[in-house]
Amino acid sequence: MVHEVRTPPLRPAAVTAGAATKPGLMDRVDAALEGLWHLLTSMRVAMVLMIVLAALCVIGSLVIQVPTGVGDDPTAKAQWLDAVRQRFGAWTGAMDALGLFDVFNSAAFRVLVAALVISLIACTVHRIPGVWRTATKPRVDVGPGFFEHAPQHESIVVHATTAATLEKVEVVLRRRHYRTVTQDDGTVHLYADRFRFMAFASLAGHVSLILILLGAIVGTTFGFKNQYFAVPEGSTVLTGTEDGLALKLLSFTDTYYPSNGQPQDYLSQVVLLKNGQQVAAQTIRVNEPLTYDGATYYQRAFGPAVQLTIKDQRGNTVYNEGMPLDGSSTDGSNRSAGALLIPGTNDTINVFATTGTSDTTIQPGQVQIVLYAGGGSTATDSKVVDQGKATAIGNYTMTFDRELKYTVLSISRDPGQILVWLGALLLFVGFTLVFLLPQRRVWARISARGAMSVLSVASLGRRDAALGTDFDDLVTDIRSALQAPNQV
Amino acid sequence: MDKLSGYAFVAAGLSTALATVCYLIYALSGLRAARMETAGLGATTGSMGLISGPRTSAVGRYATMLGWLAVCALGAGLVFRAIATGHGPFANMYEFSLAFAFGTLVAYMWFERKYHQRILALIALPVALAMMGYAATIPSTIEPLVPALQNNLLLTVHVAVAIVAYGSFSIAFGAAALYLIQPEGGRWGLPKPQVLDEIGYRAVVVGYPFLTLTIILGAVWANTAWGTYWSWDPKETASLVTWLIYGAYLHARVVRGWRGSRAAWLLTLGFAAVLFTYFGNLFFGGLHSYSGLNSTN
Repeated sequence: MVHEVRTPPLRPAAVTAGAATKPGLMDRVDAALEGLWHLLTSMRVAMVLMIVLAALCVIGSLVIQVPTGVGDDPTAKAQWLDAVRQRFGAWTGAMDALGLFDVFNSAAFRVLVAALVISLIACTVHRIPGVWRTATKPRVDVGPGFFEHAPQHESIVVHATTAATLEKVEVVLRRRHYRTVTQDDGTVHLYADRFRFMAFASLAGHVSLILILLGAIVGTTFGFKNQYFAVPEGSTVLTGTEDGLALKLLSFTDTYYPSNGQPQDYLSQVVLLKNGQQVAAQTIRVNEPLTYDGATYYQRAFGPAVQLTIKDQRGNTVYNEGMPLDGSSTDGSNRSAGALLIPGTNDTINVFATTGTSDTTIQPGQVQIVLYAGGGSTATDSKVVDQGKATAIGNYTMTFDRELKYTVLSISRDPGQILVWLGALLLFVGFTLVFLLPQRRVWARISARGAMSVLSVASLGRRDAALGTDFDDLVTDIRSALQAPNQV
Repeated sequence: MDKLSGYAFVAAGLSTALATVCYLIYALSGLRAARMETAGLGATTGSMGLISGPRTSAVGRYATMLGWLAVCALGAGLVFRAIATGHGPFANMYEFSLAFAFGTLVAYMWFERKYHQRILALIALPVALAMMGYAATIPSTIEPLVPALQNNLLLTVHVAVAIVAYGSFSIAFGAAALYLIQPEGGRWGLPKPQVLDEIGYRAVVVGYPFLTLTIILGAVWANTAWGTYWSWDPKETASLVTWLIYGAYLHARVVRGWRGSRAAWLLTLGFAAVLFTYFGNLFFGGLHSYSGLNSTN
C-alpha cells in the first residue's frame, strides 16, 4: 500500500480573538462538510461498507430470490410467495416486507452500493493530488525528524565528503532501478523511488469498479433483454430487437448420454429473417450463441409443443401453428399444458399432453383440448383428440397434427458490456500490478560532520517481519559500496 | 488411465496423512524444546524465529519430503484424470475437491520454501487432507459433460485460476488461525505474530488477483452460456462475498486498529466464505447446479 507523507491539515481557527464567542452558522456547515468528507474518504468506513454489503449478499445467496420479471408483476409475485410459503411459513410476509426475497433490488442494497461508490470516488479524488505530486514533484527534504520516526531507518557514518557519499549512494540506487531526486542546501537531501506509477495502477483498479457499475447501468437502461423467447419448431416469431427481424426455428434436438441419461446437447437450428430475407443461420448450442447486429441469442430451455390446426364454423383456418405446452396441469397429474387465445376471438383453449404409456386418460398420440368459449372460466367443451383426426370442439374443428418441440432462447443486446469488460480488464491488470510491483520510496539525508558525513536512510514501507525487505538489502548494498576502498 | 489416477490419489492421500503426522511430531518436539528453553535448559532459537532451531530438524525434513511427494502424486493423479476424461480435471465435485487439495498443498509447499514456517502445515495439510477425504466419499465415475460445461478452454482456465486463489487463501487461513490461537506475546514455540501476519498478507496478495480473475472469467463464461454476465446466481454471489471480505482485509492492513487480530479474523471469515462458495452447489441450487431437468441449463 501507498503511505502518504501527510502533514496534519491546518484547522481553521473557529474562534479568533475578539470575534464572536459562538461559532457562526457557516462555521458549523463547514465543520459538518469537513466531517462528511472525512467520513467518505475514510478507509475504515469503506471497509465496514464492504463487510455489510458482503453480509447482505450472503442473505441473497441463501434465501431463494424472486426470479427476474416476477417481482414486478403483483399477481405473479403473490403466486410465487404462496409457493415459498410452504418453506418459510408465517415468516414469509415479514421476510418479503424486509426485502429478503429480492435483496439485490432492495433499498438497503442500493443505498449500500451507492455509499460504497461515493466513498470510492471520494477516496480516489482525495488521493489523486498526492499521488500526482509524488510522481512529479516528490518532497525531497523531509526534515531530520523523519529519519528517526520512519518505520524503517538506518544511519551510517562515512569517511568521505557529502558529495562523494551522495555519488556512491546514487550509483547503488540507479543500479536498483530507482529514480533519484536530490537537493543540496549544505545538507544533501535525496529522494528515490521505484514503480512510481503503481499508485496510478491502484487508482485505476479502484476506478474500474465504477466503470463496471456504469456498464451495468447502461446495460439495464439502454439494453434489450428477453429471457423467455419461445419458438415452436416450424414457427417464425418476431424477435423484438429491431423492426422486421424474425427468428424461425427449423428444428430442436435434445440428446442424452446413453450411459447415464444426462443431457448431452441441445441444438436449436434457426434462421434469422429480415423482412422475409434470410440474414443469418446457425445451430445454437448452450455455449455457442448466435450474434446478429449487436443482439445475441442464447439457448435457454425447451419443452414439448403441438402442431394444431383450428378452423372456424365457415371452414376458414384461424390457426395453424406450433403451440408450446409451456405450463403444467394444476390437477396434480403434472401434464404438460398450454393455453391459447384463438386469434380474433374471445375463446381460449387449453391443451394437455399425455404423461406417457401409463396414462389412461390421454394416451400417447393424443391430446386433450378444453375450450373456454367467450372468455369464461368454465369449460364449454372438452375432448381427447387423436393425432391427425379433425375433431369438432365447440364451434370449431380442431386437428392435432403432430407433436413438436419448442425452444426457449434468451435474447440480449447490451451496449454496456464493453464498459464492463473494459472495467474487468482494468481491475485485474491494476490490482495485479499493484501487488506484483509495489511502489518503493526511500529518503536519504547526508550531512557533514567535520571530515566525515552522516548518511541517514529511511523508508515508509512496513518491515516484512519474515523476509526482511528491499530496504535491508538496499542498506547492505549502500554500506558495502561506501566501504569499498576509494581509488585515488 | 482412470485407474492410474485413482492409485495416484490414494498415494497422495497416504503421503499427505504421513506428512501431517511428521509435521505434528516436528511441532511437538518443538513444544518440548520451547518448554526446556523457558526452563533455562538452553536450545538456541534462530534469529527472528526464522529457523526453528529447537525443533527436530530431521523429522521436519522428512515431513517436507513427504509433502512434495504428495504434491507430485496428486499432480500426477490430476494429469491422468485429465487424460482419462479429455478435459481439465475440474468438472465435478470429486475432481474439483482433489484440485482444491492440490492447490492447498502447492501453496503450502511454496510458502514453506519461502518462509520456512513448517508449523503452518498443521492447518494447511489437514485442510488438503479433508478435501481428499471428502473426494473419497463422493462418486468418482467419469460422467460426460452436460451442455453448459462443454467449453473446454473456460472450464480449465476458470477453475484452475480458482484453485490457485483457494490454495493461497487456505494458507492465509492457516496463518490467521495460528495467529489467533496464541496468547499475547506468542507461545508454544509458534511463529511470531508479525511473521504470521506477514504470511497471511502475502498469501492474500497472491490469491486476490486470482480470485478477481476467477470471477471475471466466470462472468465471461456466463455471458457465453447463459446470455448474461451477472445474474446473482448463488455461486456468483458467494464468490463476490469472498472477494469483498478479502478486499476489506487488504484495507484493514493499513487502517489503524484493524491490524493484527482483527485482520486475522477477517482472514478466517474470508476462508469461511471460500468454503461457503465451494460447497454452495450442494445446498443452494441455482445455475451452477447443472440439474438439467427441464431447463437446458
